[in-house]
Amino acid sequence: MKNIIELEQTSKSFIQGDRIFTALKEVSLTINKGEYIAIVGKSGSGKSTLLNLITGIDHPSCGVVRVNGTDIHQLSESELATWRGKNIGIVFQFFQLIPTLTVIENILLAMEFVNAIPKNERQQRANSLLEMVDILDHGDKFPTALSGGEQQRAAIARALANDPDILVADEPTGNLDSSTAMSIKAIFSELVANGTTVVVVTHEGIDDSAFDRIIELKDGEIVLGITNASASEE
Amino acid sequence: MPIIYKKVLREMFIRYRSISVAILALTIGLWGVGTLLVSMHIMSNDLNQNFLQTKPAHIYLKSENFHKLDIDELLARPDIMAAEFRDKATLRVEVHKNEWLPLWLYSVNDFEKMSMGRFFKQNGRFPPAKGTILIERNNLLISDLNVGSTARVQSKGEIVETKISGIVFDPGQAPSTQDAFVYAYTDKENYSRLTGSPAQQRLMIRFSNAETKEDVKAKFKKLSNDFSRLGIKINSFYIPKFNEHPHQFQLNTLLYLNGIIGLLSFVMAMVLVSQLMSSIFTQQIRQIGIMKAIGASRTHIFKIYIAFILLMSLASILIGLPLAIITGKAYSAFVSGVINFDILTTQMPPAIYIVITLVGFVMPIIFSLPALLKGMNISVNDALSDYGIKTKRRVTSSNNLGIINSSMLSLSMRNIARRKGRMMVTMVTMALGVAIFLTGFNVRSSLQEFLDKTSQSMKYDLKVALKQPLPLAMALLPFKNIEKIKSIEGWVGGVGRIQSDSISTSTGIGIIATPFDSRLKEHDLMDGVWLTGSEELEFVANQQAALEFKPVVIGKSYPIVLKEQKLLARLVGVVREFDIAKIYLDLDKYNRLVNTDKKINSLMISLNNRAYDNVLEVKKEVEQIIEKAGMDVIYVMSQTERAVIIFNHLNIILTIILFLSLLVLSVSSMGMGSAMGINVIERTREIGVLRAIGATPKMVVNLFVIEGFIISVLSIFAGLLLALPMSALAANFFGELILGEDTPLDFAFSELGFTITLIVTLLFGYIASRAPANKATEITVHKAIAYE
Ligand SMILES: Nc1ncnc2c1ncn2[C@@H]1O[C@H](COP(=O)(O)OP(=O)(O)OP(=O)(O)O)[C@@H](O)[C@H]1O
Ligand SMILES: [Mg+2]
Repeated sequence: MKNIIELEQTSKSFIQGDRIFTALKEVSLTINKGEYIAIVGKSGSGKSTLLNLITGIDHPSCGVVRVNGTDIHQLSESELATWRGKNIGIVFQFFQLIPTLTVIENILLAMEFVNAIPKNERQQRANSLLEMVDILDHGDKFPTALSGGEQQRAAIARALANDPDILVADEPTGNLDSSTAMSIKAIFSELVANGTTVVVVTHEGIDDSAFDRIIELKDGEIVLGITNASASEE
Repeated sequence: MPIIYKKVLREMFIRYRSISVAILALTIGLWGVGTLLVSMHIMSNDLNQNFLQTKPAHIYLKSENFHKLDIDELLARPDIMAAEFRDKATLRVEVHKNEWLPLWLYSVNDFEKMSMGRFFKQNGRFPPAKGTILIERNNLLISDLNVGSTARVQSKGEIVETKISGIVFDPGQAPSTQDAFVYAYTDKENYSRLTGSPAQQRLMIRFSNAETKEDVKAKFKKLSNDFSRLGIKINSFYIPKFNEHPHQFQLNTLLYLNGIIGLLSFVMAMVLVSQLMSSIFTQQIRQIGIMKAIGASRTHIFKIYIAFILLMSLASILIGLPLAIITGKAYSAFVSGVINFDILTTQMPPAIYIVITLVGFVMPIIFSLPALLKGMNISVNDALSDYGIKTKRRVTSSNNLGIINSSMLSLSMRNIARRKGRMMVTMVTMALGVAIFLTGFNVRSSLQEFLDKTSQSMKYDLKVALKQPLPLAMALLPFKNIEKIKSIEGWVGGVGRIQSDSISTSTGIGIIATPFDSRLKEHDLMDGVWLTGSEELEFVANQQAALEFKPVVIGKSYPIVLKEQKLLARLVGVVREFDIAKIYLDLDKYNRLVNTDKKINSLMISLNNRAYDNVLEVKKEVEQIIEKAGMDVIYVMSQTERAVIIFNHLNIILTIILFLSLLVLSVSSMGMGSAMGINVIERTREIGVLRAIGATPKMVVNLFVIEGFIISVLSIFAGLLLALPMSALAANFFGELILGEDTPLDFAFSELGFTITLIVTLLFGYIASRAPANKATEITVHKAIAYE
């Protein structure tokens, strides 16, 4: 399947007191499998809102969101939760690890919820994910004992726990210094190289040639979609 | 173990503070209900069992012609289950040197074959050695008498001695610790020797197929016809309450109270639990959001938090259940000691365990349900924005500096207003706690006031009740030389009957003939007026006696029987007193109509110095004179002692009210503490910001302490308002219970109680807000801004 994420005329409005504020205005967007997408735009332009619609965290006011062939907003809450766990890995700006679980347990918890990876493979898979993000030594530590960069690596490892086709990240490096941010970006590039579709909201993305496509939002509308030359081969 | 349960355990471990408060609240709630269930189960069964195992008589008959009765023929009748002679005489016995108490001496036909009114061997000999007596075990607590000692008994003015050869337990008697009576049992010959009267003159009967007092009355009516045909003249009869222990009222009060207060504190504990649960969930909202974002379904969330709740419940059951069994038993044992009955229940039925366990598991789930549902249903977006990525929108930084500078009071006020719902719950529970606590005090002072009034209404200090009426001058003679005596009045007390329906009534109406203008008694008039001294025969009834006339109409004439003479007397008033049914008549008229020889049988002595010690001293002197003069006396009673006896009847109840209401108040302040705790958690960020812009820890503490203070004050105010109707209701309830139907106690406001409530509530409120406030100061700028 080529089009892994499709938005058709999707809008999102918020009711604030007695007036309606539209954060996303009839956005149509197609993302192909394996693409590395950056979403940029000023604060309040609707980036997080768009991401939340893709992950099913939020519901569109109208329009359709199809991910991996599923019209996700037709699913019930529980179906959506399991679907999301299986198909989309989410990375947050503030890492959002469960503080009472060790790093490896955070990863195992995600597997437990979705139940897609056979039980006897989980431990090993968790280890190899930690190895991939380069924090194998920290697996048995609690999140608070980790630096910001390490926590974000752990969060990425957790997002990949159930081998999702899509990884979505909302300002994943916004809270990190630039060299740590670079190493996180390197992990994303590696994932893209291995066939995962990655959608990242970022501030400093415009000049980054690693992205296949850069989508710019302004006042809830897509104003620009730059396609990098390197991506057109696909 | 699945990771989710690992998480539950770790979470509990880390949040041990709030978890232990929640477990404590659950335990207290469960402990309360458990104790209630256990003690109710034990006591309601056991007092009755104790009483019924005596096979209580249905009726007591007195006659001098029972020799005409063929007891075998009587027993052969289908209506009669059992009949047995058991004479009873009221004598006096010396319990301590020169201190005498009434002695109820019973003659028993055959100790080994008692068919009713049974009592049981405790110690020493049973049956008693010939010519000796057995005494009731409770008597040991109020006298120097014991097995082997010799009792000095006053009978017809003479002192006779008899040895005590054993101790028995008689569950049919009112506890002598409260009623100040000595009960003794002996054989017929010794009975006659001690009393100087023949035996076999009092007959106890148990009827078959009698279920109520009414049945007994009806069956007796039939029987009395047969008796008169046989030429047996019944002098008097007495029908006790059907199958009811004389102090059942006390137990009933306790059980009612336990029920009400126990349930209330349980409800409050559960409100507290629901608050604590929502506080715990508030802390977990963000995590719930994350878990949902990485694939947790509602079932997962449900499993996690149900496990959480069940573990806490389990802990509370493990502690609360055994505790409840222990305290329930201990409490029952305490009460049984006071009322003098034996605990018969050894094994709790499984049902009690099952009910307590069920309550322990189910109630917390029900009361955490709102929080649980909120957690299950919250959307990822809402959960995360509640704390996480989106919170930056919520931080209001514009006027923070202003807040610090503006008075802390107004900030606290604003916070209370902001969390209206929760603060309302807190306030309502606090107010309820305050109200119950205050009501406890108010009822106590209502009772105290009533007792004071009762004892003040008696202007005499000592009352000597003579067994045989004497001419006034003769009765006064022996006391001539006691200088401490101010004056003595002679009254007549006796037993009369009121004709209220087709058959004559029960015999229990006391008749007091007193000079209508006597200054020795003041009256707590409920209705009508006191005796006026008019030419017509008037009477005043106390509220217990008033129950016999239905309906009670002031100004109406009722037939009364005095010394076998049927007379019409006009009811002019009803007075309230803690006493058996009594009516009052003018002494002059009484003498003229039925007491022409003008003998009196009560000496009402008033003293110059009314101090307690002096009264007791004179009492001893009076006792010595009585012994020397060989007067035949029923009792010598001082008003102060009487008040003490009455107070003893009620004290146990009062103490327990106060204790339980303190429990309620402490549970409600725990509720306040947890509400404050939630506040702190929810305002973590705000506190961090406040600290960042320069608030000192002290300021932060004040923020919460002031808030707690405002809530406490508002609760006290609301509680005070609530306490007024509650106290009035409670005074009504107690009045009815102790004094009889339609006899409310007067509402009394206890200033002492109010002061104590005020102090306790403010103190509890302070503690309840201080602890979370301290926690708030632990919030550093770093922690608050780091979102964790
Ligand atoms: N739950 C909500 N209720 C009301 N308005 C909202 C809500 N969520 C977002 N908005 C509004 O929608 C608009 C877009 O918000 P969004 O979070 O998508 O912006 P963003 O591009 O992610 O900004 P930033 O770079 O600051 O994260 C904003 O103006 C915001 O105020
Ligand atoms: Mg955003």
